[in-house]
Amino acid sequence: MPKLIKNGGIIDNAFIWQQDPEQKVTPNSIIAAQKWLSEKDTIGCVAGIWLDAGDGIEFLQDVDLTQFDVIGVNFPAFTDGRGFSYARLLRERLNYQGEIRALGHFIPDQLGYLLRVGFNSFQFNEEVDLEKALALHKPFSIAYQGDVSDPRPIFLRR
Amino acid sequence: MYQYDAIDQQLVDERVAQFRDQTRRYLNKELSEQEFLPLRLQNGLYVQRYAPMLRIAIPYGMLSSTQLRKLADISCRYDRSYGHFSTRQNLQLNWPKLEDVPDILAELAQVEMHAVQTSGNCIRNTTTDQYAGVIADEIVDPRPYCELIRQWSTFHPEFAFLPRKFKIAVNATESADRAATQVHDIGLHIKKNDAGEIGFKIIVGGGLGRTPMVGVTICEFMPRKDLLTYLDAIIRVYNQQGRRDNKYKARIKILVKALGIEEFRNRVDAEWAHLKGKESTVPMSEFDRLTSFFSEPAYAALENKPEILSSKLADSAGFARWYERNTFEHKKPGYRIVTLTLKKAGQAPGDATSDQMQKAADLSDKFSFGELRVSHEQNLVLADVRQEQLVELWEAAKEAGFATPTLGLLTDMICCPGGDFCSLANAKSIPIAEQIQETFNDLDYLFDLGNIDLNISGCMNACGHHHVGNIGILGVDKKGEEFYQISIGGASGHDASIGKILGPSFAQEEISTVIQKLMNVYVENRSEDERFIDTYRRVGITPFKEAAYAKAN
Repeated sequence: MPKLIKNGGIIDNAFIWQQDPEQKVTPNSIIAAQKWLSEKDTIGCVAGIWLDAGDGIEFLQDVDLTQFDVIGVNFPAFTDGRGFSYARLLRERLNYQGEIRALGHFIPDQLGYLLRVGFNSFQFNEEVDLEKALALHKPFSIAYQGDVSDPRPIFLRR
Repeated sequence: MYQYDAIDQQLVDERVAQFRDQTRRYLNKELSEQEFLPLRLQNGLYVQRYAPMLRIAIPYGMLSSTQLRKLADISCRYDRSYGHFSTRQNLQLNWPKLEDVPDILAELAQVEMHAVQTSGNCIRNTTTDQYAGVIADEIVDPRPYCELIRQWSTFHPEFAFLPRKFKIAVNATESADRAATQVHDIGLHIKKNDAGEIGFKIIVGGGLGRTPMVGVTICEFMPRKDLLTYLDAIIRVYNQQGRRDNKYKARIKILVKALGIEEFRNRVDAEWAHLKGKESTVPMSEFDRLTSFFSEPAYAALENKPEILSSKLADSAGFARWYERNTFEHKKPGYRIVTLTLKKAGQAPGDATSDQMQKAADLSDKFSFGELRVSHEQNLVLADVRQEQLVELWEAAKEAGFATPTLGLLTDMICCPGGDFCSLANAKSIPIAEQIQETFNDLDYLFDLGNIDLNISGCMNACGHHHVGNIGILGVDKKGEEFYQISIGGASGHDASIGKILGPSFAQEEISTVIQKLMNVYVENRSEDERFIDTYRRVGITPFKEAAYAKAN
């Protein structure tokens, strides 16, 4: 079973990230959020949904997110920073408490930033050495800005 | 001057360790070229024509003599004994070895310096008026606000991978805008409202490059406590909605233009509604804390125009000229602001040798409380010089090559490194600067011409800000040959405007002749004391165009 990094450890990945809309949906599937929204009445139980860059989070405003074990965010390129805001808004604005998983083309050197905006699991490409990636988990012990784990900026913490 | 506490220092130290590891992994081929690229860029490291270029941050242009000595030392030991001060108040080293960069950064960290976010698609070094804190008509000192922005923007977790680079500049005087705020992604004008409260007029969507634009006002007065939440809102909208399909259309100016300011403002306000009043609202205690770092130095009670100054002004035309051009009125009687120009003929504009950096540091210790500033026009500034010491300083500055008395004149050019160093450039810019310096070497004539901004860029990226030069020179490539397009009518102050292209480009050897012709048109048409830009605005482009393209016969 493929592995991923979650909550600071390497674990087995129990879910299937479905990128192909034709693929059969199972209770382990993480399916495209837009697809889920339009077909949710017929689609059955899923583990979660994933957001594509450009989706935004507004369309999830009235959705009960507690039904998902995981919400994925796809990075089409690791230089595409839109997904950073999605995670943060899922946490701060939609109050989503479950797993937020980074998917697609992000790199281990971004872990520090990704953690701060609310991601807690990371499904890397196969060629990434997860042990080495884990070593990059927390590059900075402090931060100037508030973030998802502590909304207070530095001036409230000095 | 701002001083790091344990937190600031720890962050910079941890960044050095992080980059050391990233460099090691890159050299071991554990990180691909493509992956290393944005990581090194966010640490100011470009790969340039001949070597990497390292851009060192000088936050809002402030330097201590200790820091400048360190820069001198680093440029001497790791580079070719000089550095280039840029329009955004940074220092660029043109020849460091990639393997040495972690060590350079570690040495910078020893003096509270770094290269964080001096490049890459993130929020860059914030810039401001080089005379901040010492000019009379300032609303408040902008530097504490710049430091607030520095901290907020450093490693901002949400905005490290924006569609494109993002530049913020701050200004706090009505009489001048020395930071070119209107051609930044965000320009902030510090204001005081009728109730005496401090806030910001916020300008968004200015910028140069391929599509030059003057920014538009998104907010007339934002209370200072709300600054950071509002900046978060603006940049979040940009990060989400800015174009990512085409890097030439990715700057915020394109988004603002496409949506129109009304719609853009609505979207920012909608975002801000969620952030306003939340944790990032800045408490008064933080403004007080930051302001305390920029308290006045121990000024002496002095009289204006001491005898030694008056008599030297009367006796020495050379000194009087330098005094008139290169020094500026100080808010305190008996003091003067002095610019050490880096525009000596034969030296690329903005370049300083290690030796000059050492000397400037010594001068700041001796004459200006051990502090300096870097200006947008690529000069160094001693902000607090006793008028009674000006003569002595002038002598020392002459010796070090800092006293070219041409501040604000035609030969005080802004100039990018151009094709001699930069791999993006289409043409060289330094030889053009040299040509103009050689041609316009008559100080009386330059004085007579008065204030003229001449800006030179080696390519469309406009690092030399050619669009906002009263005269702008842009290097262009035509079938492998270098040509130069000239524009006139640009300005970067409160009256910011984008220059208009005169017509077809010129060959390199024609440039100074063309500039000469433009000056002739100006001299013939000006009314008394009228600046070049004002004459241009009054008479229009036609007479300049006709003169520039007139055949010799």
